[in-house]
Amino acid sequence: MLSSIESPRWTCALGGALAAAAALPRTIPVMHSGPGCAANFAWTQNGAAGLQVAGRCAGLSFPATNMQEGEIVFGGAERLHEQLRHTLQIMDGDLYFVLTGCIPEVIGDDVESVVSGYAAAGKPVIMASTAGFKGNSYFGYEQVLKAVFQKIVRPGSAAKRNLVNIWGIPPMMDVFWRGNLRGVEELLGLLGFRVNTFFGGQASLPSIANAAAARLNIVLSDVYGVEAAELFRDIHGVDFITSPLPLGAAASDRFLRRIGRRLEVPAKKIETIIQRENKRRYDYLEPIIDVYNDMEAQRYAIVIGDANYACALADFLAEDMGWLPELTVITDVLADDIKAGLLRQREGRSLIPAQKIIFRSGSREILEAAADDWTPSNGRYSKRSQPVFVLGSSLDRNLAQTLGAGHLSVSFPVSNRAVLNRGYTGYGGGLLLMEDVISAFILAR
Amino acid sequence: MGKDIKQIAIYGKGGIGKSTTSSNISAALAKLGCRVMQVGCDPKSDSTNTLRDGKYIPTVLDTLRAKGKVRADEIVFEGFNGVYCVEAGGPAPGVGCAGRGIITAVEQLKILKVFEDLNIDIVLYDVLGDVVCGGFAVPIREGIAKHVFTVTSSDFMAIYAANNLFAGIQKYSASGGALLGGVIANSISAPYSKSIVDDFAARTGTRVIEYVPRSMTVTQAELQGKTVVESAPDSDQAKVYLRLAQNIANHNQSQAPSPLPVAELHEWAAGWASELLKMESGEVREAAHGI
Ligand SMILES: Nc1ncnc2c1ncn2[C@@H]1O[C@H](COP(=O)(O)OP(=O)(O)O)[C@@H](O)[C@H]1O
Ligand SMILES: [Mg+2]
Repeated sequence: MLSSIESPRWTCALGGALAAAAALPRTIPVMHSGPGCAANFAWTQNGAAGLQVAGRCAGLSFPATNMQEGEIVFGGAERLHEQLRHTLQIMDGDLYFVLTGCIPEVIGDDVESVVSGYAAAGKPVIMASTAGFKGNSYFGYEQVLKAVFQKIVRPGSAAKRNLVNIWGIPPMMDVFWRGNLRGVEELLGLLGFRVNTFFGGQASLPSIANAAAARLNIVLSDVYGVEAAELFRDIHGVDFITSPLPLGAAASDRFLRRIGRRLEVPAKKIETIIQRENKRRYDYLEPIIDVYNDMEAQRYAIVIGDANYACALADFLAEDMGWLPELTVITDVLADDIKAGLLRQREGRSLIPAQKIIFRSGSREILEAAADDWTPSNGRYSKRSQPVFVLGSSLDRNLAQTLGAGHLSVSFPVSNRAVLNRGYTGYGGGLLLMEDVISAFILAR
Repeated sequence: MGKDIKQIAIYGKGGIGKSTTSSNISAALAKLGCRVMQVGCDPKSDSTNTLRDGKYIPTVLDTLRAKGKVRADEIVFEGFNGVYCVEAGGPAPGVGCAGRGIITAVEQLKILKVFEDLNIDIVLYDVLGDVVCGGFAVPIREGIAKHVFTVTSSDFMAIYAANNLFAGIQKYSASGGALLGGVIANSISAPYSKSIVDDFAARTGTRVIEYVPRSMTVTQAELQGKTVVESAPDSDQAKVYLRLAQNIANHNQSQAPSPLPVAELHEWAAGWASELLKMESGEVREAAHGI
């Protein structure tokens, strides 16, 4: 049992679920909870995702029941009915997604029966149970996935050889979710596959409904969306594979080889693609290589992020930039077997220098763990090395200041940057990440 | 600061006789000259029926639901001998949160300052069954009621509920919550039932303040929609209630009880089970006789 987590790097299940539902195409989220929840998500969550506060039906303007004491005492089902009735009349959408907060779940509102009434009447209304006391944002994202797989994805679509599904990139918790989804879509496009991303501008509800026709589900995470993938497999019979986020070139090479092999793309074709993409990348890299040398831009690094980002960022620094990530902090609260799985992935990777990977969730804990490690030990040499760079979230600025290090926010929360379409996956994404890291490091000089 | 209002909560398992006993106490207290209010804290909302000729009154929550806010004269109704009657009410069965309902209703009484305006001496809260959630603990929390009396028979389930209530009282006792005034033994008829309740009280560090016999008079009164105190004022049963009311009016000193751990409670019950068996077989006639 955990005691407490100070400055956690997530919000609650409802927050993650709202971010996900709002990111589904032509979907109107309907929040069944108290009014405070939405206020919290608008700024604490979406604002801290590179200032993505608002949306057509997100942020502070979307349908909600705003439960008050009357609903708590007498039950909120009537209020939800009222809200759905009006929402269906007024809001132009193709899917209405009811998400429950703590209040209706504590008092036992039968939301399922309210929603199934609309569904029975042919209205596109679904729900997910996302009380904050059940889990954090990542859990909420997973609940939304499961509901979509159960209620929207049509069973028994004829299989399409060139179609794959991807998920595992939770909107907002992955601040760069739009760009990252697009980057992976492009990588898979190189192999000749069409991709269902479920979320973001490129997705559509008809293509989501058709997702059971996919050849493979690719979960871009070893943690988030894995349970949903098992559910998808059980319902629709489509197998899945998990993969780290392919941030930058080395990870993209690995991704293409692994997925390509799995989907029976000829090895020769894969290698041709990889060579071409890397050649292009070096065209962009060449002009800055001298600067990298002259400025002695190699850095030691502390990397802090969730299960998707932490190791992927550390790998990127090591493999794409030749940096030395010495400490990686994974900020999720994870079961021991999942932790072990994450650590196992690093085995047998020659380019990644020896490094310490730890699991810490509280921001003070993280600061202390890192600062301790960087304090010179007694004797002739300091245990850790300078100069160092902190690649983490905006909560890690203090740590960077304490160490006199450069700093870039990439993992949630990112409240000191504006993020529009930026993404770090794929070859192009790797170049962007390199730009951002080098710029931050130049700024700090 | 007005006068010190004596606030008392009556708890006990459902159907054990809380409302019957509370209403008779209220009626008796009114006869003794007290200004009394009885607050039914049970979604069943029948606590005060026998004080008002068997009729239901609108509940605080129903009125609140219909009008959004309430005035004192919409929720307080006078009954027998000027006893003020209030029913908290609750949501439809299986919907919403009755616990929060109790909190809301009790808050209304505070907000409307009804005790002060009506110059009440004693308030009786008649509270549903077990302390099933925080809402039903409200009358004993935060010093709303100072004294709790629990109604129990010698049935194990009733005693189990009483023991649970003791645990609730113990929990809040350190932070200004109510303390236990004692046990009202109700429906005492078989000779051994008195000993069982006595024994339970002794083990949990409390005392029995009155033994209320099971009586046909109660049933008759109830069928007329009245308390015994009203319909049969000269009966023996009425005298019991008058004595009980006097005891409660005089009561000042309550204590934190020491509930039995569940396993111990079961052991205790098993002990009594074999005792009763022996009595039945005549083995310990002497002891049974003495009761
Ligand atoms: N001492 C008693 N003698 C006879 N009947 C009783 C006695 N006490 C309670 N009853 C009867 O038991 C039933 C339940 O009592 P009630 O006061 O409504 O219980 P509660 O309020 O605890 O749910 C009622 O019909 C009542 O008349
Ligand atoms: Mg009752």
